[in-house]
Amino acid sequence: MSESGPDAASPMRAVAEVVARALVDRPDAVRIVETSRRGSVVLQLSTAPGDLGKLIGRQGRTAAALRTLVGLASERAGVRATLDLRD
Amino acid sequence: MAAQTTKMAEFVQEVVRAMGLTLVATVEESPDGARINLEGEDGGLLIRRGGEGLQALQHVVATAFRDELGDGQRVIVDCLGYRREKDAELREMARFAAEKVRRNGIQQEMGPLNPYERRIVHLAIAEDPAVTSESIGDAYMKTVIISARS
Repeated sequence: MSESGPDAASPMRAVAEVVARALVDRPDAVRIVETSRRGSVVLQLSTAPGDLGKLIGRQGRTAAALRTLVGLASERAGVRATLDLRD
Repeated sequence: MAAQTTKMAEFVQEVVRAMGLTLVATVEESPDGARINLEGEDGGLLIRRGGEGLQALQHVVATAFRDELGDGQRVIVDCLGYRREKDAELREMARFAAEKVRRNGIQQEMGPLNPYERRIVHLAIAEDPAVTSESIGDAYMKTVIISARS
């Protein structure tokens, strides 16, 4: 699996996208690249410069919440997933 | 029903749908603010590990709608009545601690608790004029000290 189209979006990618877009100033600039590495899904999420802090939050709490939700989606789907945040 | 409450519930519904969970969000206005209740067969997933998923959802909704929520307005996300039960338990524990302080004067500690939990404890303690509570610590999680009012 390389970068998948919107129809093929995994629940992990879908939840990361819905949540990230709701939190940033520039939702249009949120990009997620989904790759698969040894059976585990890797999501690389990038934002407009300056928006990344909104996804990290105070003491990294928002990033932790985002990872928890992605983790639960992956648990439900029966796969492993990790989320990388970058601007 | 405030328009923003409906919007928050729609957002929660969209998030759980994106996660692939079979859950339905309904809203309820409580004296404590908007309450979004999730019901459905995948509820267990959000409640697991001390309601970690619920807390994450609540944090995300509160953050996304921070500017639209006025001062003192809050949003609570619950699932299968988990939060309601936990909150009632915490209130009960706070009252029990207050009772102990009143009986023997020795201060009691609760926690570490998150801000939401601390608020519940402070409100429960405030109902008892003989005791007082304060949070100590400078991290997100703090301990609440319950002592006799001098």
